[in-house]
Amino acid sequence: MRFVDEFRDAELGRAVAGEILATVETGRHYKVMEVCGGHTHSIYKYGVDDLLPANVELVHGPGCPVCVIPMGRVDDGIAIAHQDGVTFTCFGDMMRVPGSDGTLLDAKAEGADVRMVYSPLDALRIAKENPDRDVVFFAIGFETTAPSTALTMKRARMERVRNFFCMCNHVTIVPPLRALLESPDLRLDGFIGPGHVSTVVGARPFEFIPADYGKPVVISGFEPLDLLQSVHMIMRQLAEELCEVEVQYSRVVPYEGNLQALKVMAEVFELRPHFEWRGLGFISQSALKLTEAYADLDAEIRYEVPGVRVADPKACQCGEVLKGVIKPWECKVFGTACTPEHAIGTCMVSPEGACAAYYNYGRFAREREVV
Amino acid sequence: MPGHADLAQGCDHEVGCITCGDTAVELCVAGVDREHELADCSDGAGRLETVQTALVGAVAPGDVLLVHAGTAIHKLDGGR
Repeated sequence: MRFVDEFRDAELGRAVAGEILATVETGRHYKVMEVCGGHTHSIYKYGVDDLLPANVELVHGPGCPVCVIPMGRVDDGIAIAHQDGVTFTCFGDMMRVPGSDGTLLDAKAEGADVRMVYSPLDALRIAKENPDRDVVFFAIGFETTAPSTALTMKRARMERVRNFFCMCNHVTIVPPLRALLESPDLRLDGFIGPGHVSTVVGARPFEFIPADYGKPVVISGFEPLDLLQSVHMIMRQLAEELCEVEVQYSRVVPYEGNLQALKVMAEVFELRPHFEWRGLGFISQSALKLTEAYADLDAEIRYEVPGVRVADPKACQCGEVLKGVIKPWECKVFGTACTPEHAIGTCMVSPEGACAAYYNYGRFAREREVV
Repeated sequence: MPGHADLAQGCDHEVGCITCGDTAVELCVAGVDREHELADCSDGAGRLETVQTALVGAVAPGDVLLVHAGTAIHKLDGGR
C-alpha cells in the first residue's frame, strides 16, 4: 500500500534501531514524550519501544482528545442530550466516556436521541433531514479536527440551517505542552511532535520548546519507521548538542501548516480564557469556542448546562498517566477494575489513550537491554 | 452514503479511532462536486465517503487527500 509498506519494513526498522543504539550516551537515561495519542497507539501496536535501548524511555503525553475531556463536560453534554427535541451527535469514542452519572451511551439507553457520527458534516446532514429537531454536535479534538468543525459551521450558516448547534470542546496543543514543561514532576529530553495537528498548524508553533526550554522537537509520522527515525533524530540532536524543531513527516507537514485551515478556524473560533483538562487542571487559552458571529449556533448559549467541575474517581490515575508521571500499568485499577469494556478513566476508553494501548497490545513493564 | 457505517467502525481498538485522535487517513478522489466544495472519496477497500475539500484547493479524480473527520487537510503529491 502506498506510503505504508515502505514504512513498516522490519529490516529497515532494525537498522534504524541500530543507529539509535550507536547514538545514545552510555549510562544516560533519556525521556522522550510523544505528544499525540495516535503515536502512542502506533508505538504499542508495532512494538516500537521494544526496538529501543532501555535507557531511551518513551513517555506518553496528553494528545488523546477524548482522554483530556473532564467529567464535567461530559455531564454538560448529557444534560443537553436529555432536552426535549434534541438529537445529540458525537464521535464514537466520546459516547463511552464516563461522566459523573453515566455515559452518553447510558443516556441513549434511557431514551435520549444520541447518535454516533463520523464527521461534523454527517451531523449537519442529520439536521437538514430533521428540521423539527435541534441537532447538537459535540465537537472534540485538537487542531486536526477543529478545521472540519469550522468548515461545517460555515456551511450551516451559508445553507441557512437554523437547527444545527455546536457544543465546542476543541482544544489546542501548545498550551498543555507549555504546562508540562513548567511542571516540576517531569524531566524530559525531547518531544515527538504531533503529525496531523502539524499538517494544520505547521511546525512554527513548536519553536518555543527549543527556544525557551532547550528541548528538541521532531514532528513525526505514524508508521513504525517514522517513529524510529524521529527518535533517532532527537538522539542525534542531543548527541550533537543541537536544539531545534525538525520535521520528519515532511511528506505531509508543511512548515507553515495549512494557511486556509488556519484562516477558517480564526473566522469561526476564538480562544476561551481558560479550560479544564483532565489531569492537568485549568490551562489558560487552551481551548476554542465559537465567535460572536456564530453565537446563535452555540449549544452552550442555547441550552443551560450544569457547568459543574467534577473530580475524577479517586481510584483513577489518568491525570498522572496523561502527564507521563506514571506508566499505565502502575495505576491501581489498570486491567482490573478499569478495562476497555468497563473503563473508569478516559485513557482506557479511547484506543489513542495510553492505558488502552497498553492493555490491548499486552505491553507491560518488561526488561530491555540497558546501554 | 455507501460504506458510511463501515467507516464509523474505525472507533475500535484494533485500528484506532481515526476521527477522535490526531490521525487522518488517505483517501482517493472518485468524484467532485465543485459548486459545494465536496468530493466523493474512496479508501483502499472501495468504501466511499463525502469529503469537504475547501482547505486543499481544487481537486480532481485520482488525487489523494489526507482526510480527517470528513475534511481534507492536505493534498498529497503524485496522486494514485
